[in-house]
Amino acid sequence: MKKLFQNSAFLSLLIAASAVIFGYWLLENPRSTLAFLLTLGALLAAFMLDIPKWLKVLVGGAILLLVIPWAGFKNSFLFELGVQTGIYAAMALGLNVVVGLAGLLDLGYAAFFAVGAYTWAIFGSKQANQFMPWHIFPLPGAYFYLFMLVAVVMAALTGVIIGSPALRLRGDYLAIVTLGLGEMVRVLANNLDHPINITNGPQGITPIQRPPIDWFIALFDKFGIHMSRAEAYPLFFYFLVLVIIGIVTLVNIRLDRSRFGRAWIAIREDEVAARAMGIPLLPTKLLAFATGASFSGAMGALFAAKQLYVSPESFTLIQSIMILVMVILGGMGSIPGAILGAATVTILNVDLLKTASDYLNDLRNAGFVLDLGIFKYNFANLPNQLEPAKYERMVFGLIMILMMIYRPEGIIPERRHVAEMKEKE
Amino acid sequence: MLEVLIQLLPSVLLEGLILGFVYAMIALGYTMVYGVLELINFAHSEIFMSGAVAGAETFILLKGAIANPFILLALAILIGGTVAAIVAILVERLAYRPLRKRGTTNRLVPLITAIGASFFLQDLVRLIEGLWHNAFYRRYPSFEVFEATYTLPNLLGSLIILLTLWLVFWVVAYFFYWIYRTVTRTQGISRKASRGLWIAALVLTLLSAVIYRTTIFGDLGLTIQMKSILVVVISFAMLYGLNWLVHRTKLGIAIRAVAQDAQTASLMGIDPDVIITYTFLIGGFLGGVAGVLFGLLYTLVHPYVGFIPGIKAFTAAVLGGIGNITGAAIGGLVLGMLEMLGGTYLTFLTNGAMGTEYKDILAFAILIFILLFRPQGIMGEQVGEKV
Amino acid sequence: MSEAILEVNEVTKTFGGLVAVNAVTMHIEKRRIFAVIGPNGAGKTTFFNLVTGIYKPDRGSIVFDGVDITGRDPAVIAGMGMARTFQNIRLFGSMSALENVMVARHVHTRTSYADALLHTPRYHREERKARDRAMELLAYMQLDHRAQELAKNLPYGEQRRLEIARALALEPKLLLLDEPAAGMNPQETEDLQRRIVGIRDDLGITIVLIEHDMKLVMSISERIAVLDYGKKILEGTPEEVQNDPRVIEAYLGPGAAEGVQ
Ligand SMILES: Nc1ncnc2c1ncn2[C@@H]1O[C@H](COP(=O)(O)OP(=O)(O)O)[C@@H](O)[C@H]1O
Ligand SMILES: [Mg+2]
Repeated sequence: MKKLFQNSAFLSLLIAASAVIFGYWLLENPRSTLAFLLTLGALLAAFMLDIPKWLKVLVGGAILLLVIPWAGFKNSFLFELGVQTGIYAAMALGLNVVVGLAGLLDLGYAAFFAVGAYTWAIFGSKQANQFMPWHIFPLPGAYFYLFMLVAVVMAALTGVIIGSPALRLRGDYLAIVTLGLGEMVRVLANNLDHPINITNGPQGITPIQRPPIDWFIALFDKFGIHMSRAEAYPLFFYFLVLVIIGIVTLVNIRLDRSRFGRAWIAIREDEVAARAMGIPLLPTKLLAFATGASFSGAMGALFAAKQLYVSPESFTLIQSIMILVMVILGGMGSIPGAILGAATVTILNVDLLKTASDYLNDLRNAGFVLDLGIFKYNFANLPNQLEPAKYERMVFGLIMILMMIYRPEGIIPERRHVAEMKEKE
Repeated sequence: MLEVLIQLLPSVLLEGLILGFVYAMIALGYTMVYGVLELINFAHSEIFMSGAVAGAETFILLKGAIANPFILLALAILIGGTVAAIVAILVERLAYRPLRKRGTTNRLVPLITAIGASFFLQDLVRLIEGLWHNAFYRRYPSFEVFEATYTLPNLLGSLIILLTLWLVFWVVAYFFYWIYRTVTRTQGISRKASRGLWIAALVLTLLSAVIYRTTIFGDLGLTIQMKSILVVVISFAMLYGLNWLVHRTKLGIAIRAVAQDAQTASLMGIDPDVIITYTFLIGGFLGGVAGVLFGLLYTLVHPYVGFIPGIKAFTAAVLGGIGNITGAAIGGLVLGMLEMLGGTYLTFLTNGAMGTEYKDILAFAILIFILLFRPQGIMGEQVGEKV
Repeated sequence: MSEAILEVNEVTKTFGGLVAVNAVTMHIEKRRIFAVIGPNGAGKTTFFNLVTGIYKPDRGSIVFDGVDITGRDPAVIAGMGMARTFQNIRLFGSMSALENVMVARHVHTRTSYADALLHTPRYHREERKARDRAMELLAYMQLDHRAQELAKNLPYGEQRRLEIARALALEPKLLLLDEPAAGMNPQETEDLQRRIVGIRDDLGITIVLIEHDMKLVMSISERIAVLDYGKKILEGTPEEVQNDPRVIEAYLGPGAAEGVQ
């Protein structure tokens, strides 16, 4: 039996079969959480297990590019889930550079997300007219792509500004200082509506321009798929996020395997030895910090465009912690781990906890009576405080403690090996 | 303008001092755990919170049965402190000890565990309170005797102002002297120059006392509430008791021994695990009592109430020199006063452009400033990594 | 007399009340094998930490290859050509042996951030250069068969050799070895001895060595300095040091010299 599961041909068959079955099931029942999870499970298995590369690509492509978009048309929540997962995965990859590779515990990571989000929100809405002349705002949606780059630069700059004092500190102090700096950015966002109105304070900024997608709709029209603008945007953002994840993953892998990645890990493992081997401490840490920040900034701009609305509420400590939990769950320093962690936590947070809450609510409203003979409970008496969706802190806290005690290396531990260089000669 | 600032000074400082006592008690928990484990116990803010909530429950439950608010307060302090101590010990047992036993090399692991414990506890308390009362905000009942206000003699206010002015002038004078020294590259400070600075500051103080005599010696309306008096008296007693415990008892000596060198201490027959448990117990109890006093002062408590005071108390611990018990107490008092000054004067000086929300930022700014320029704090010693 | 590569002048370092290194002066000539000996706690490792910039001296100056490096950043000093090993091995545990050595190629690798992201030809060229040199050095320390092994999984003796390989990857002019033979058996120690001499002879690197194994010290070093309670009590050739009663007293306590004789 065990032999059988090590047999590549058998595994390939198994994965292909489950991908087809679960994918089909999801297409038939796009609202079934279970079908969605099983489909993702097949995707994960295809990635993790030892099967031929072409099959991995085939299964991955089929699920990500066909099944989910198709099911998403029937249930646009899947797009929402996909885009959120993607945004968080990109951020988890960024934080992975900081925490996982360089070993710097950053508890204020959401601050860079905020910087990126406000960068586009302010100029992609009428907000900028409040403090700038010319009255040319909002900028047209096409500027969005330019502003994603601007957001990258702004976030990286913020990273350098915050990092140059903070990164001089010892590791545990860094944690509490970044936590404070993260809060500072939120407080600033909340209060910079006076004396000059830059952020519009607690009300937030809306509406925010989105990138134009007429070409996208036209493209699908050619294939006989007709979409309204409202239908097309979720699909567009879904594809955009997939592209970004691809880029971000590639950047991550390349940095990891360069001298910079090695320097980060050296610093993480032993600062003194790293310096004695010629690794300059502060610049190397700043590079990690700014790199991580820039990922977050880019996703912030995307978030602003997708949501049409930003407010300080979206950039709280719990956001920073959530991304940290993703990295920890997946495995610090592990690139596939960060993506898996992001997917798990997002689905848990956005879908499962809410589903459980709804379920309990239904039971309560229906006055369902659980009768186990000796134990009898009427769900109508269930306190309405008991909503799993409101206990994300408990869930995150528990994940952190349990992972640290039982599996500090995460679900997919980091694997170090020098890239086998293609011997060209 | 300046007159108003001066007039406000005594009451602002007094309020800061009262808040500072609460910070001092929380800061002790951070500093003691840091002393023995070299770990920022992020969960300490929630230990404080559980004390505050347990105290509220005590008040609410027993209000009908016991009429005397002082006895009620005593019970609340006892129960709040005990609950917090139990929570602290449980956190140590369930979260930190397994890591110690495994002997992890990754420095991030205990830190992440501590953060996890902090978040877990917040929602655990929320869950318990939610299931129990169907609401998780609790209010300390108010009692007339506690709210009673006493007017303090104007002379005390005048004295506070004069002393503060003296200190401020001294700081300013010292700052200029420091610049002068840096420019001329003279090392050290002579006793004569030091005395000169104090005297110069005193002269300036007396000068301003003459100029602003109507304000300084006028009616300052300095008042204090009974509950504030209680906070000061109780915290002072606890701080004093802790000082005695740490310096005069066997347990205290053992704690200090483990803090200095756990390995050597265990060779001397001290079980570090036992000492660590006691450290969490003492720190937790103080934190819990601080929670009750906090509730007494600010009335409203909830599962997330620990975060901000926790950060500030940690700042206080760093300010005083982390690991140093006296330092933590002094750091708490100083931070309480700085915060109140900052909170009041910032709004005032910027014409309301920078509201009180910035006062929380102030604590962070102080934290970063100290960590960068004097990481050993006021009382601590510089320690470097041994290579 | 040939010129000095390292000049340490009146350097002092205190920790609290303890004077770990007390006004030590040492001039080390190029292409020498120079040993620093002394009882435990004499301040030898602290001396290395001062020279490599990990601690800042309270007083005194350090000149390396004609440049004043007092108070400079350790990474800068390493980049100038000073490498070291540690008494308590400090490898990057979760990296492979090869990667450990490649880390020390950092300053010699001319890959920019953009090169690394875009995988430019320069990236490939530099990466291959770093890798080839690292493999060469692993082979030189007879560790090439361990290249892909995680450093923390190597046996003790190999970890010590890997530290030397990593230090050599900096292409140093001066190599500081802190108790390289500690914990080695006689066979391994002899092996190490040949290697140290080889490093000096083949690569022309000056070597400063802290070591307790007197046989090793006496047979390969050309000059020896003796530290005791942070003070340099003596410097000379192996013969001079061996016959000096102050050395015996430093190791065995006052009055011991007569007893031995
Ligand atoms: N970072 C430090 N902090 C405090 N004391 C130190 C530190 N580094 C070394 N020492 C002390 O300095 C003295 C010399 O230590 P060391 O240089 O390691 O001696 P050696 O290498 O000769 O055995 C010892 O007493 C040691 O405890
Ligand atoms: Mg030594």
